[in-house]
Amino acid sequence: MSEFDVIVIGAGPAGSSAAIKLAQGGMNVLLVERGDPPGTKNVSGAVLWGDELSKVVPDWERSAPIERYVTRKEVAFLTEKSKIAISYSSQDLMERKSGKIIVRGKFDQWLARKAKDAGAMLVTGITIDKLVIDGGKVIGVMQDGDVITSDAVIVAEGANPRVLINSGLRPKLSDHDVALGIKETIKLPENVINERFNVDSKGGYASEFVLGFLDDGILSGGFLYTNRDTVSLGIVASLDRLRANGMTHSYDIMGKFEEHPFIKNLIKDGIPDEYAAHLVPEGGLASMPKLYGNGYLVTGDAAMFTFSNGMVLQGINYAITSGILAAETILENKGKISEETLSNYVNKLRNSYVLSDLYTFNGIQNVTWSDFTQKTMPKILDSVMMSMFDERGMPKKHLMQVLSAAVKSNGMKYTELISSGYRMMRKM
Amino acid sequence: MKIEEKLSLLNYKTDRSYAHITIDPDICATCPDHFCVFACPANCYTLINGKLNFKYEDCVECGTCDIACSHGSVKWTLPKGDNGVIYKYG
Repeated sequence: MSEFDVIVIGAGPAGSSAAIKLAQGGMNVLLVERGDPPGTKNVSGAVLWGDELSKVVPDWERSAPIERYVTRKEVAFLTEKSKIAISYSSQDLMERKSGKIIVRGKFDQWLARKAKDAGAMLVTGITIDKLVIDGGKVIGVMQDGDVITSDAVIVAEGANPRVLINSGLRPKLSDHDVALGIKETIKLPENVINERFNVDSKGGYASEFVLGFLDDGILSGGFLYTNRDTVSLGIVASLDRLRANGMTHSYDIMGKFEEHPFIKNLIKDGIPDEYAAHLVPEGGLASMPKLYGNGYLVTGDAAMFTFSNGMVLQGINYAITSGILAAETILENKGKISEETLSNYVNKLRNSYVLSDLYTFNGIQNVTWSDFTQKTMPKILDSVMMSMFDERGMPKKHLMQVLSAAVKSNGMKYTELISSGYRMMRKM
Repeated sequence: MKIEEKLSLLNYKTDRSYAHITIDPDICATCPDHFCVFACPANCYTLINGKLNFKYEDCVECGTCDIACSHGSVKWTLPKGDNGVIYKYG
């Protein structure tokens, strides 16, 4: 007889959502989190897209600590001296409230409390070492030499999956599996944020950046999200390229980003209040561990469920949905947990956007993490814009001629631009 | 703002009796790249007169150095219990 029906490792969005669903289904659930309180070990942008949480916490937005709703969304290329952006502001987007800007320190604590309210036993400040496997079946978890038993375990341990690695259930991570995220939280008065980012008190600005100004082969994206009275500013850098470069400190990429003239302005007079770093799953399908086995399921970042097409970065919604689907799978197979019955988890993921998106966008990394997207595109766009807006009293040219000249001046062939551009559009 | 100042913004509960990450100085002494020094976002790895110096106290538990070290020197575990970095915002 096991001590618990289910042990959930990690009280982030995936783990807490799973625990809520399981507790609602009458299961005896232990939710274990090494942060005390939950959220103190987690790092994220963060924008929570969509409304998946309403499946386990109806009316969740009423009590959740939401900083602002995304009403201005930007995607921008930064070159050394310029910024070329797509900026989308929309009252419809405000009404839809699709993007919720959150601070994970507050949010995760709130969601874990919801799990506790639903009836899960929440234990914090406890670090799980590995799964306990007996006769090919997971029978519980190991914590500092002690075994806690359960019929099933949901692994929701996040982007640095030590339990899976220690249990021999996935290989160590490599440069291609994850990128390095570095983030700063900067204090700015609420009214300054409203004016500076042209949003009202409920509205928020969320932007992703391509850091085209970085030299020596370094590839990195950036992000800026407005919280209520702080700003989240960060980078997501390729470890592969950082290694090939071999002489740039990761934290100096963050330094260069915050010193960029068009970023510096946005955080002027801000007071840095926290520095943080975390791995970001980037490898997609190729990096995914086995998602289930006899007695365990893998969810959220630990399963590498993230989405990034350069326009939007998502992960929390995938975590919540995978957590709920894992819980459903266990609830439907109470008393008959096996590798075969738990395999239905994958069917559920395939029928949802979680695995559909990962299959649809398989290989997107080759586009988002390419020199074409991160270096050539920004330079060409910069040349085009400059030609169009720098009036020199000369006869004007058609856009195609301007583009052609920009392509040539950046050492590219027109045909290369068309094929790379086509490949990019197809993958995005 | 320098990295040292940024790190000073962080709160930790430091486990004085257990270093959750250790390195093998013999391996590091012959390492050709010392990529850990460049990869670690918390400046835990530094070269002092060509010798690798590691301190776990500033670690933010991201796991980057475990990936960065391709020479088998880094032994990576999580801090025990609730020790380590305590993020306010995260």
